[in-house]
Amino acid sequence: MNVHYYPGCTLKEKAVNLENSTIASMKILGCDLQEPRGWTCCGAEYPLSEEKIAGLAAPARILRQVEAEGGTKVTTTCAFCYNVLKRTNYALKTDPLKHKRINAFLKDDIAIDHDTKEKTTGFPPYHGNVSVVHLLEFLRDDIGFKEIRARVKRDLSGLNVAAYYGCRLLRPYNEIGMDKPDDPVIFEDFITSLGAQVIDFPFRQECCGSYVSVSRPEAASEASYRILRSAKIEGADVLVLSCPLCYYNLDRQQNLIKEQHMEFTGFPILYFTQLLAWALGENTGSLGLEEHCYNPAPLLESLEKAEVAE
Amino acid sequence: MRKRIKRGDKEKGYTRSIVQRSGQNVYACYQCGRCSAGCPFAFEMDILPNQIVRLVQLGQEDELVQSKAIYLCASCFTCVSRCPKGIDIARIAEAVRETADPKGADHFGPDDIPAHRAKDLPQQAYVAVFRKFSK
Amino acid sequence: MNQNRPKKKIGVFVCHCGINIAGVVDVEKVAQRLSSYEGVDFSVDYVYMCSEPGQKLIEEKIKERQLDSVIIAACSPTLHERTFQGVAQRAGLNPYQVEIANIREQDSWVHSDKDKATAKAARIIKSMVEKVRRNESLEPITVDITRRALVIGGGISGIQAALDIADQGYEVLLVEKDPSIGGHMVQLSETFPTLDCSQCILTPKMVEASRHPNIKILTYHEVDSISGFVGNFKAVIRKKPRYVNEDLCTLCGECEKVCPQVVSDEFNEGLSFRKAIYMPFPQAVPGTYTLDTDSCLGLLPIRCGKCMEVCEPMAINYDDQEELFEEEVGAVVVATGYDLYSLDHLGEFGGQKYPDVVNGLEFERILSASGPTGGVVRRPSDGRIPKNIVFVQCCGSRDPENHNPYCSKICCMYTAKHAMLYKHRVPDGNATVFYIDVRTGGKNFDEFYQRTIEDEEVMYVRGKVSKIFKEGDKLIVWGADTLTGDKVEMEADMVVLAMSMVPAQGAADLFKRLKISTDINGFLAEAHPKLRPVESLSSGFFLAGCAHGPKDIPETVSQASAAASKVGDLFAKEKLFHEPTVVSAEEEFCSGCGICVPVCPYSARSLNRERGVVEVNEVLCEGCGACAAACPSGAAQQRNQTDDQIFSMVKAILGE
Repeated sequence: MNVHYYPGCTLKEKAVNLENSTIASMKILGCDLQEPRGWTCCGAEYPLSEEKIAGLAAPARILRQVEAEGGTKVTTTCAFCYNVLKRTNYALKTDPLKHKRINAFLKDDIAIDHDTKEKTTGFPPYHGNVSVVHLLEFLRDDIGFKEIRARVKRDLSGLNVAAYYGCRLLRPYNEIGMDKPDDPVIFEDFITSLGAQVIDFPFRQECCGSYVSVSRPEAASEASYRILRSAKIEGADVLVLSCPLCYYNLDRQQNLIKEQHMEFTGFPILYFTQLLAWALGENTGSLGLEEHCYNPAPLLESLEKAEVAE
Repeated sequence: MRKRIKRGDKEKGYTRSIVQRSGQNVYACYQCGRCSAGCPFAFEMDILPNQIVRLVQLGQEDELVQSKAIYLCASCFTCVSRCPKGIDIARIAEAVRETADPKGADHFGPDDIPAHRAKDLPQQAYVAVFRKFSK
Repeated sequence: MNQNRPKKKIGVFVCHCGINIAGVVDVEKVAQRLSSYEGVDFSVDYVYMCSEPGQKLIEEKIKERQLDSVIIAACSPTLHERTFQGVAQRAGLNPYQVEIANIREQDSWVHSDKDKATAKAARIIKSMVEKVRRNESLEPITVDITRRALVIGGGISGIQAALDIADQGYEVLLVEKDPSIGGHMVQLSETFPTLDCSQCILTPKMVEASRHPNIKILTYHEVDSISGFVGNFKAVIRKKPRYVNEDLCTLCGECEKVCPQVVSDEFNEGLSFRKAIYMPFPQAVPGTYTLDTDSCLGLLPIRCGKCMEVCEPMAINYDDQEELFEEEVGAVVVATGYDLYSLDHLGEFGGQKYPDVVNGLEFERILSASGPTGGVVRRPSDGRIPKNIVFVQCCGSRDPENHNPYCSKICCMYTAKHAMLYKHRVPDGNATVFYIDVRTGGKNFDEFYQRTIEDEEVMYVRGKVSKIFKEGDKLIVWGADTLTGDKVEMEADMVVLAMSMVPAQGAADLFKRLKISTDINGFLAEAHPKLRPVESLSSGFFLAGCAHGPKDIPETVSQASAAASKVGDLFAKEKLFHEPTVVSAEEEFCSGCGICVPVCPYSARSLNRERGVVEVNEVLCEGCGACAAACPSGAAQQRNQTDDQIFSMVKAILGE
């Protein structure tokens, strides 16, 4: 199996553990990930203005490249990239003015081939037809949760996992539509397929603070703290997520949270692909857990039943 | 504080410009407050999301561009998912930021990040915060 | 199909309509021109034809000149056709010899060139002269009336309508799908603004209805279909098997004691349980038990049989069957009531996850002295008395984006009532109401609401609630105070949601089968929103209560009585009159092709295969003309709008 895969700039440097665990688990599941040639940063934020729409050019170009390489689908794990790419498709499909302006702009792109140095210009328009799927959707629809269940090598029944969606995987519903907006189940179904216990908690869709943690770190850490606290109160052992910025706010900022809330003693966070890779048999040493502010390795290793079954 | 509310050309023109930039019918808002009730940063804001929309309805440009609230929006879209009139408050906030005078507004630039944090931040955070908050 | 042109004396009366017509059309000139047209005996203009002197003028001239037909050149016939038909009748002329030439909406109101408008007016009038020249004198078709009413729905609106119709001396069939009449009103604890005990004011009416000699109550019955037309309906009614003979049941309750099946009690909104054989509530009318086969262990074969064993009066009969029977009625009152919008739709409030987040009807049962908690306010989850209770208004209403766009009307008042009753029972408790607006338009309503705030110290916070979730033992409510400009987070022991009213479950299906129109929200559509609020556009169907739209009890009762009065209007007539401008099926020309039969939207035409011609039920024909257009041989001709007439009108318009 082969699918186009858009990692996004952050995965290549600051979220290497997310990237590596993604590639590793997909390999075990028999799927090759193909990055579109010459991809750029998607822009991180979908432009919300009707006038300043230049921000649609980069994501449109990425998707055009996927189409040019014969791909009809592209998958991604970063929630920001997923949101930007999917909403770009929606804009190009539903707003004829944006479609016209962006394609006019992109037509004059000059692409220089890496090897031959050949220049290409006058690109065909992109109409928003490449399907953008989050890796969770890909796992559910193209590989199947049943297949994952069959491949799981560890008994995770003693592990209580809280799934954190955040905002960008679900909203705005009419453009993203990954699952029901107020009662999504895809992430929970994924956790069940790994054999772990699902913990439902009311803050699973609340914002972690997002990029406001750059300009107003104490305000953002409040938002992050509430999420961690809720997961803990409901009995979760670990929280899984799918976004490098959520990871930064919920894990890397735990020292700041401790300063503001004395009673907070830390909480383990995992990318869902790290849990997936581990469940499929990878050992804790290969998941990049030492980079976490709160290392989840001791938690995983403490599960006696989760020794790899032969 | 006594405030004189005028509905002159300046005010109506400002409302119109926000309507155009955001593509939203601001007059549909009946101030139910649901957006503010769900906003994760409302606790820190000087004016609430519903008040932002109210001020846009009244065309009060100065108060809006000088607020701190528009620089606390995380574009999380909770307000949008809750609004019973289908108004996209996040787009309205973005439109107000677009019209903000850089000299008077509280914006954020590369110099505002301390060095020890700079190396830890993920790229998407940089790109996002500068695209949203700086000129 | 050329008819002999009879030499009719035609009068033409051209109206100025003030300056509405005369401002653009030279009415004097038009009247003059028409006076020399073939067949026109008399032609005059006048400033306001519909006025008393105008009408008098027409009446006098008809008598004086012995006119055979008249044309009134004026405004649209939808306004004054009846007026001028009445004038003709008073003058001894058949009303179908009157035609209106519309020279206002179709001429003076849409053109500004005076010369051309004047010329057009003359042509319009000439075309109508050509039509009326060939008009037959017609008599309305008379129809008998079955003076018996069918009321669908046994809630307060149905009961009130039934009582009022019955008191007028007519027989009423009151059909209710549940085992007892009473509807939702019997579930309420106390009603605003008087705080009357709901059951105390309703049960006397229920008993009155059961004892009334003119009312036949059919509970556990449903209306399957209705055919026919106003004054002459045939209703097919389905009797669901109760398995208990209501006349023999003594309400001893022995069957209930031995029944092993325990299911959720709908009367208590799922807050308690009942047996498979049950009585919905003590004051049920009729007073009898009912065996609910959906929850019974089984009757085919008999898996249990305990209830029948202990029934001394031998009222239980497992061989009871469903029955379908037909009843003839003349009028139908649709009073199917409402249900509440489901909590499933509000995922941000937890959907149905949290037992302590309840809707208005559940809270009514908790408040009710005959309810599952004996009238003590207790949380459904652990039975504790809540010290902090939050009420949320506008749940699922005023929300065109995600839920229902309309205002559910009664919630502001019943929320104030709930808060007040809570404070009466838990004086040291805190009640908070989250609202957007408070709508208190009825008599003594605003005073009641002010008492809630001033005397009971209920706190009203202006802001809609965004999220409700549970943390440990408490519920957390996220709202806003738009008046102080704060986001508000509040702890509560219990939350009551004022859910939007929606049409009753199953009503949509019924309305489709009865072919009565609804609005976009599924509520019954009235014939005119201002002037005809209790009639449907389907003749003979009347509306009452919340089936028509959210409303409170005083309005429901008013509307039910109004509907009954309209039924009385109908039944007071000796006969019904049907417009005679129907479409025929001339046997001479009919080839029996049958094309016109499926084209008719009123099922008025049928093909008689033996005779090889089409027959028309004139009482069903509404004169739409679709069959006349479809008929290839011209056998279908509309009275006073024949093909011949239409062609001559066209010629008159094109000529000159």
